[in-house]
Amino acid sequence: MNERAPHPVVDDVLTVPLLGAGLDIDAVRAATAKVLADDVCWFPVRHHSPTAALHLRKAMLEKRPKVLFLEAPADANELVKHIVDPKTKPPVALYVSYRDDDNVTGLAGIASPSPDVPPRFSAWFPLMAYSPEYVAMKTAAEIGCDVVFFDLPRSALIKEHETAGADGDDHNDVEDAGVDGDDQSEKRGESWEALAVRSTFYAALAKSAGFRTWDECWDALFEDPGRHQTWRAYREDLAAFCAAVRATTPRSRVEQDGTLARERFMQKTLTTTLQERGVDGKDAFVVCGGFHLFLDRDDVVEPPARRPGTHYATVAPYSSFRVSEASGYGAANRAPQWYGLLHDACDDSRGGDADDGAVDAMLKHIVAVLRQGRKEGDGLSSADAIAAAQHAHLLARLRGRRHPVLDDIRDALISCCCKGRPAEEGAHLVQAMVHAEIGNAVGRVTPELGQLPLVHDFYAAVDSLDLGEVMGREKRLTLQLDLRKEEDRRRSVFLHRLVHLEVPLGKMLDERALAGTLFSERWSLAWSPKVEEALIEKNLYGDAVETAAAAVLEEQLAKDEVHAGRACQRLVRSLNMDLPGMMLRLESACGKAIDEDQRFVSLADAVVALLLLDRHAARGALAREALQTLIERAFGRACFLIPDVSSVAEEDQSAVVAGLQSLAEVLLGTSTEGLDKDAFVENVSNAATISTVPFLQGALRGLLCEIRAVDATDLADRVAAYARARPDVLVQAGPFLDGVMAVSKTSLLLGADALVAAVDELLRAADDDAFKTMLPLVRHAFERLHERQRDALAGHVAERYGLREAASITKLETSTDALAEMARIDKRVATIMKEWAL
Amino acid sequence: MASKKKSESADETSSALSTAPAKERDRVREPAEVRYAHELEALRQNDPTPPPSPWKLSPRSVLAYVLGQKKVLKATIDGAVVDVPITRKFFGDDALVERAIVTLASERALLLVGEPGTGKSWLSEHLAAAISGCSTLTIQGTAGTTEEHIKYSWNVARVIAEGPTPQNLIPAPTMIAMKSGTLLRFEEITRCVPDVQDALVSILSDKAIAVPELPDANMIWARPGFNIIATANSRDQGVNELSAALKRRFNYIHIPVIADQKTEVDVVRERSKELLERYQIPGPIDEPVLQLLATVFREMRTGATSEGTSIQKPSTTVSTAEAIGCALDAALYARFFGGGVVGPADVARNLVGSIVKEDMADVGVLKEYLTLVAKKRATTDPAWKQFHEAAAKALG
Repeated sequence: MNERAPHPVVDDVLTVPLLGAGLDIDAVRAATAKVLADDVCWFPVRHHSPTAALHLRKAMLEKRPKVLFLEAPADANELVKHIVDPKTKPPVALYVSYRDDDNVTGLAGIASPSPDVPPRFSAWFPLMAYSPEYVAMKTAAEIGCDVVFFDLPRSALIKEHETAGADGDDHNDVEDAGVDGDDQSEKRGESWEALAVRSTFYAALAKSAGFRTWDECWDALFEDPGRHQTWRAYREDLAAFCAAVRATTPRSRVEQDGTLARERFMQKTLTTTLQERGVDGKDAFVVCGGFHLFLDRDDVVEPPARRPGTHYATVAPYSSFRVSEASGYGAANRAPQWYGLLHDACDDSRGGDADDGAVDAMLKHIVAVLRQGRKEGDGLSSADAIAAAQHAHLLARLRGRRHPVLDDIRDALISCCCKGRPAEEGAHLVQAMVHAEIGNAVGRVTPELGQLPLVHDFYAAVDSLDLGEVMGREKRLTLQLDLRKEEDRRRSVFLHRLVHLEVPLGKMLDERALAGTLFSERWSLAWSPKVEEALIEKNLYGDAVETAAAAVLEEQLAKDEVHAGRACQRLVRSLNMDLPGMMLRLESACGKAIDEDQRFVSLADAVVALLLLDRHAARGALAREALQTLIERAFGRACFLIPDVSSVAEEDQSAVVAGLQSLAEVLLGTSTEGLDKDAFVENVSNAATISTVPFLQGALRGLLCEIRAVDATDLADRVAAYARARPDVLVQAGPFLDGVMAVSKTSLLLGADALVAAVDELLRAADDDAFKTMLPLVRHAFERLHERQRDALAGHVAERYGLREAASITKLETSTDALAEMARIDKRVATIMKEWAL
Repeated sequence: MASKKKSESADETSSALSTAPAKERDRVREPAEVRYAHELEALRQNDPTPPPSPWKLSPRSVLAYVLGQKKVLKATIDGAVVDVPITRKFFGDDALVERAIVTLASERALLLVGEPGTGKSWLSEHLAAAISGCSTLTIQGTAGTTEEHIKYSWNVARVIAEGPTPQNLIPAPTMIAMKSGTLLRFEEITRCVPDVQDALVSILSDKAIAVPELPDANMIWARPGFNIIATANSRDQGVNELSAALKRRFNYIHIPVIADQKTEVDVVRERSKELLERYQIPGPIDEPVLQLLATVFREMRTGATSEGTSIQKPSTTVSTAEAIGCALDAALYARFFGGGVVGPADVARNLVGSIVKEDMADVGVLKEYLTLVAKKRATTDPAWKQFHEAAAKALG
């Protein structure tokens, strides 16, 4: 094909921005032509671009290459056969992880919890059915072409501690660390789109063409399957676009984010593979981000090597939600289901049509949104669908497009179906749009791949506990457990173990509300690809969920033995996880931690956790006497530490107040035997006296009132005392009242009259400036109260200012004759109204 | 009201259609098609695509008229070739304007909804001026609007003498718009009672008005190009809610309150400049004063300062239109009673009237703002110092 196909993007759209960015259009064309004239067929793509996939497939079927080079980590190459296996159904994702066992990166203790824990790094490479990379692999399998992943292994990209520090760019460092399961590869800017968005060329393009977002720009230029008549025209346009992006991206940026290192690896792998296999360049096909088409082919610098350590790669089921922007995935696809619809409608191998497919997909999408909207309760009709389709067409034409893109369809749906504000009247519609755009597809991986032992144990437990309903769909399920039943108890243990392992399958609901119940638990369960990801990560701890949970607990225990609160909370967890061996160890560790811990908040947490354990003692075969001793020790030590926290800094005050409230609640509860109330009262009183912080003074005094150690009038007297103080002291009444209201609710209402009088006196005493200084905190203080409590106080204020209860109001006396006259008038009025048909 | 408008409408339409409309200086305010006649004519002469009949401009040129463009157009005005810059008329989300234009080109009518002072009527006027060359076919919705104001009425004296004939029929703006294939503006539609609103259902679905009194000519059909731009105040929603049948015939476009400082300053700058010219007050308002004015209005509207402090919100609407009004009042005050140049103190003096309207509790809200926010800023910023002192004095 020698004749030049029409290139609508370069010819119609790019000229102005190229000039705007100071670029010579002929130079860009020349750079593009040079790359495209290469023997090797370089095909630029964007992740999850259905149109790129359609053209790419046509190109591969025509060129029938012997080797396909794909932008994916080289150390995952073995997985290709599992990805293209007919039993594997996208969405799936390549998962690669690396554990730096010998701390060669120097990031132990920085990217891991402690220096003795090796840092772990991982990355996901999601694949939809229409992702160009997936389509390329499937097409390669179809035509008998070898696939070579030629991107740099992830571990080679991790910046060492010293290097990272030298960059002086903290944000990048954190992202480069890529710890534990996040999609760091995408966040790190390895996707060329991140570079494109920051290029001056894109800025000029968006300005001249009026694109609001990068996605809108991409869709308008490259997501209209009928816009380019041939794959060559598409490739040439996209390559020219990428040439302009590359020419306006500073080299320092690509050096810093690892792009250059990756490109060196790509170039080297390409050259050596062709040499080793004796394959001619004409028989090679490269699929990569468009930016990499213009890599420096003369760069002789050696790429970095894969780091020593534990490497792991697999393929895992994924979901369309996880691929979407809504999940927070870095190089996200904003509407996975919509693009799938577009791909299928334009794929001629599925009976689609490149020219009409976009319209067909739009109509299907609009109907799907409206159907979902009706389910949500909106009255949407076919007339709305017709209007929205027409509106989308007209908008596309106004914006200079052949067919509507997703942005036009979204705008049209809002215009035609939302009768008011999108966030309010249109909330259901917007939800329906999101639902239809994202979809709820979940992928499947061929059983040939095998499973890690922990993953296997997890699925075996899911089957045996009859939890299969929750798997394989991203739907939330609520589970009510009765712990007196054996199966429910086993389920509870399993779910608690998963929570401890940070495997996000379930979350316990109403944890606080059910804290007092012995036999009930409510769980919200939802499967997502993150479940599998976490299991893969935790496989390093053990082969079974039980042993892994115990190993994690052991590791945590070793880290902070002297933290009483955390140690006791772990004891509760080990009970919930049914790990009796661990409980004995933890009990002794708790005693040691309680004796050594000098932190009030930690000890208060320990008391709360131990009391909870005490309630469940029967279930966990715990020795209650031993527990009671621990509770008394923790409570006593916490009491004596109260004066130490009487004047803590502002950022610690809420934790201290919460701890004080916990201890007070314990004293007001039923299990107070052995707890020294006098010691608590004495220490709180001392702390209130020595405290220099008005907020804490208020909280401590309020607490004494709440446990009935002092009368509410005492509080009122203290507030009134502020009224008589100097102006600089008077204004401290604001934080004092705030502290009182933070802890004291019930008792406050008992002495409401006195308190209202004191506040009244205070406000009368304050001059204008003092009042305005106090105002925000006084307002905040009263906002802490429940609405009913505020109403009750307001009643006292009203009474103080002369209003009386209805009961006390003098009854209006009248005569019998007057009442008879009133009844007569009333009857007459009723007759007239009846005549008037009212 | 409708009857007051209609006598002028024919004149204005023909005036707007001529290439050189004469500006009448003795009018307090000219309609958009007269004020911006040169821009409209320049866009017409340079229109890249033929407009859909009978639109005066293509949708793209309408968009360029409303949103402005960088490129200065060359046009022949009054026989001379001149450069005509296209100014921006509406500040906010460009996509809203695109959606509005597309709606007017479709089967459905347009309803602009939003808080008071967000520029609904302003946008409606400019769209009508650009699309139909006439923005004065307007019905102002009130509780007293009747079906006659929407459709037609009769010259009673002549009907008594001659009976009902087409000559004795007095068309309302809707009927004029239908006959001429132009846009009708219906302001504050939700202030009309439901029975009156429902008169629009048949007009929007059948595109016709039945006149049963005229047996031989009892249908008035709309010509292509006829459509309706209605506005509704979101604070009135629920008072006279549109019926489901009428809702279905409108595309709603919600115009949000301007959220960012820069756009609000742009709006106040452009609109106050125009108003100052109309009142022949020399010189624009200085940028720091505009910034201060926009800051005060934005913070009082949102109930939060730029430093993140929560403050009370007044019960009255603190819209951008109010800010523009405040700027004009300040300029008038400075011109006639002050030193001629608008300063922060002039803004402060006129702020009270903008914030405190029906509810005297808003005095307290304003005082709180002055004490908690303005006073603090006054310690480091002389403009805020002047503002604070003058506002405190005005409040007594």
